[in-house]
Parts: sequence; C-alpha cells; structure tokens
Amino acid sequence: MKYLPLIRLLVNRELTLRYKRSVIGIGWTLLNPMLTSFVLWVVFSFAFGGRLVEGQQFAPYLMAGILLNTFFNQGTWLASESISTNSEILTKIYVPPQVFTISAAMSAFVNFLISLLPLAIVVLVSGQSLSLTLPLVAIVGICMTLLVAGFGLILSTLFVRFDDARNIVSVLLMIALYITPVFYPISILSKQMQTLVNLNPLTSYLEVFRWAFSNNASPTIANWCYMFLTSMLSISLGALIFRRAWPRTVAML
Amino acid sequence: MAVIELSNVNLAYRVLMNRTGSLKELFRDALKGRNRVVDYVALKDVSFTVDKGEVVAILGRNGAGKSTLLKILAGVLPPTNGFRKVTGFIAPMIELGAGFHPEMTGDENVLFYSALMGRNLETVKERTPAIGEWAGVSDHMSFPLRAFSSGMVARLAFSTATDEQADVLLVDEVLSVGDSDFQEKSNDRIQQLIKSGAAVVLVSHDMNAVRSLADRAIWLENGHVKMIGKASDVVDAYESN
Repeated sequence: MKYLPLIRLLVNRELTLRYKRSVIGIGWTLLNPMLTSFVLWVVFSFAFGGRLVEGQQFAPYLMAGILLNTFFNQGTWLASESISTNSEILTKIYVPPQVFTISAAMSAFVNFLISLLPLAIVVLVSGQSLSLTLPLVAIVGICMTLLVAGFGLILSTLFVRFDDARNIVSVLLMIALYITPVFYPISILSKQMQTLVNLNPLTSYLEVFRWAFSNNASPTIANWCYMFLTSMLSISLGALIFRRAWPRTVAML
Repeated sequence: MAVIELSNVNLAYRVLMNRTGSLKELFRDALKGRNRVVDYVALKDVSFTVDKGEVVAILGRNGAGKSTLLKILAGVLPPTNGFRKVTGFIAPMIELGAGFHPEMTGDENVLFYSALMGRNLETVKERTPAIGEWAGVSDHMSFPLRAFSSGMVARLAFSTATDEQADVLLVDEVLSVGDSDFQEKSNDRIQQLIKSGAAVVLVSHDMNAVRSLADRAIWLENGHVKMIGKASDVVDAYESN
C-alpha cells in the first residue's frame, strides 16, 4: 500500500481544512451535532419522549441517531464529491482515484468518532450509563465506512457525468433520514411501515450502534447480519462499477 | 532499454450528440430514442518507444492530441485500446502544482504534492527545507500558500516536482517558470535530470528548444503520427509544412 500515507494526509486535510478559518476550528465538529440534537430534542421530546422502553432516555436515543445519520450523509456526500473535487489532480498525476473516495469516507468516520465524546456526555447527563460493549461501536463504524465508500464509488462517477445527480442524491438522503428511526421509536409505526423501516439497512446499523454505545436498543442477529452483508455488498459492487466506469469518467473530468 | 513503450494506442472519447448534462435529459431522450453516441477519436494507432536517457519531443498543432498523449503516458488516461508500458518513477510536469491548496502552508503543500507522486514521505520531510530554499521561498514555508505570489507558487511546484531523480520526465511547456534567473536555473536542473538517465517526453511549440534538447521528435496530426525521426529532420519538415 504505497498510497497509505496519502490517505492519511487526505483525511487530515479534510478534517482541518473545513474549519481552518473559523475561531474555534475543529471544535465545530463537537458543537455541530450537539446543537442539531438540541434543536430536534426540543421539538420531538414531547411527542416521542415517553414512548421509549423503560429506562431509556430520549436525548441519547435521539443524538445517537443523529450522529450516525450525519456520518452516513456526510460520508456519502464527501465520497460522491471526491472525484469531481479532485479532478485537478486526477487529470495530471496518476493516483488511483479510489484513494480519494475512500479517504472521504474515512474522514466522515473520524468525524463520527470525535462526535462520540459529546454523545457520551449526553448519555451520562441524562442518567443512563455507557455500555461495556462500547468497543463494538468500532465495528459499526467500519461497516458504515465501507457502506458509504461503496455508495461514493458508484455516485462519484455519476456526479462527474450528470449535473442533476446531486439533486437526486440529496432528496434520497433526506428520504433515508425519515425511514430510519432517528427521532422516533419503531414501535409507534404501523406494521407495514415497520417492515419498510426494517428493510432500510441504516436501521440495522443504528440499532447495533445504539445498543453497543448505551444500551438504547435491542438489535437482533438479523440486524448484525444485515449490517455486515450490506457493507460488503456496497463496497464490492462499488469497486466493480467504479473500475468499469472509470475510463469514460476520467475523459470527462 | 525502452522505458516507455506504446503500441497501437487508440483513444476515443464518447460524446453524446445532444450534449446531455443531466440524468433527466438523458432519460427523456432515451424514451424518445434520441440518444446518439459519437466516438471522437483523439489518438489513432500511436506507437513508439523511448529509451533511457533519450529526449523525445512531440510536435503538432493545437488539438493534434499532444496533451492527450502526455496524459496517457502519465497513466492518467487509460487508452481505449492498445498497449502502454512505462517503467519506473514518473515525474509528470504537466501544469505543475496540482493539489496545492491555498490554506495549507508551504511545507504541508510540498508534503502533499510529494505524496501524490507516491514518494517516500520520510525522505521528503528531510528534503523540504532544501526544496524551499531551491525555490527561493525559505522564509515563506510556514505561511499558507495564499501568502505566496503566483511566481513563488510556480517555483515551489517546480522545485518539488524535480527534487527526486525520475526515470521518466513528462514535460508540458513548463520550462518557462518564473523570472529569467529562475528559468536558467530550472533549465539547468532539467538538463541535469536528463543527463542522469531520465527518459524525457516533452511537448513544446518552441522549435529552437526542440532542436537543442531533443534527440528525436514525433509529429502528431489529427491524432495520428505523421512523422517520427531525428529531431532536426522532423522540425524541418514541420516548419516547412
């Protein structure tokens, strides 16, 4: 892996450049999810707060959902943009283009890891405790990184070729948010809606994540399997499609 | 020993006739059966080899396929069909400074640019002060690149790109970097790289430079090789054309 140092530099660059000209710099990575979660908590805690399982608080439940969704959104977006943003480089120096897409997915992962700190605080403040299964969060993170990198590999070639692919993807990402139990418990849905929400792979990731972090869910074996399966499928399909589409894509950069 | 080997390389761009830039239009046109795809052939049946220590110039008018050819040599564009083989470390001096970021410092940019070229970063870290000094920007290296003048950026890029011995040097009119002092200095450095055994492919419109630098020349016209041979012969033929 000759390009490992480059991946490290790219992840670093993504994390530091974003807030380079702001006063609190990387502090935004911590503050952003907290503010979003607070706003949504104010709005939804009355509606759904009492509907959770006994012993679970709404604040950590909600924030865990938001963090994982941010990871997915940001990762998909950065990875999909990675080829067009780096077209300058890709048309001049030979670098395996996948390096940029994978680095983008990885920087979303690092952002996610950083944002676990405020989540831990929220868990403790709301009177729950962190699970002993906490290290398993890393598995969810890695699976999500692979999922997002796969999506990115497929979408990045579309982003280069078609201007409106961005609009379509942003609508799809919003739909994904609503069919994932981010701010509502699954139990309030009708039977049909529950089936739909469970078919959404993100639901499995979220269930496992909430359970592993602070015991805010009870994932089944099926959830675990679905998570592994979709991440492997996404990355292998993405790599395959990207390899085939690349010669024509690079000609359009 | 041939460092660069191209045989029967073709490159075709696929162009959609109705200039479809959006999925919506693509879908609409597909429904109406209006999508016509035309292959625009940029390179046709190009074959040549370049040996170690040899300097080959590529001549041709705008749009003849010179830049496309350089990109294929750099490995950036995969040929549509045909065989391309380039052995060893390539230093692509095509529009230098790709990947330079205005918010990153000179040091960081040197490191990043070197990483893009696949260099060993440990050695680069040690070399960074020397790279900055050669470019004449030592006192600026810890400032963000936006504090550099454009000449300084170009010099730093050149200094970084040529810092390590390359096996293959691809040069696209970059000999005109900076002021006259620096031009002399950079010309010397290119000469030095050539002497130490790099194979060089250069694209230039400056026929005097081609005569003095190149051993052989390739004349491209509309994507195919019109003439290939000793530099002076090809330049004469090209100029009388």
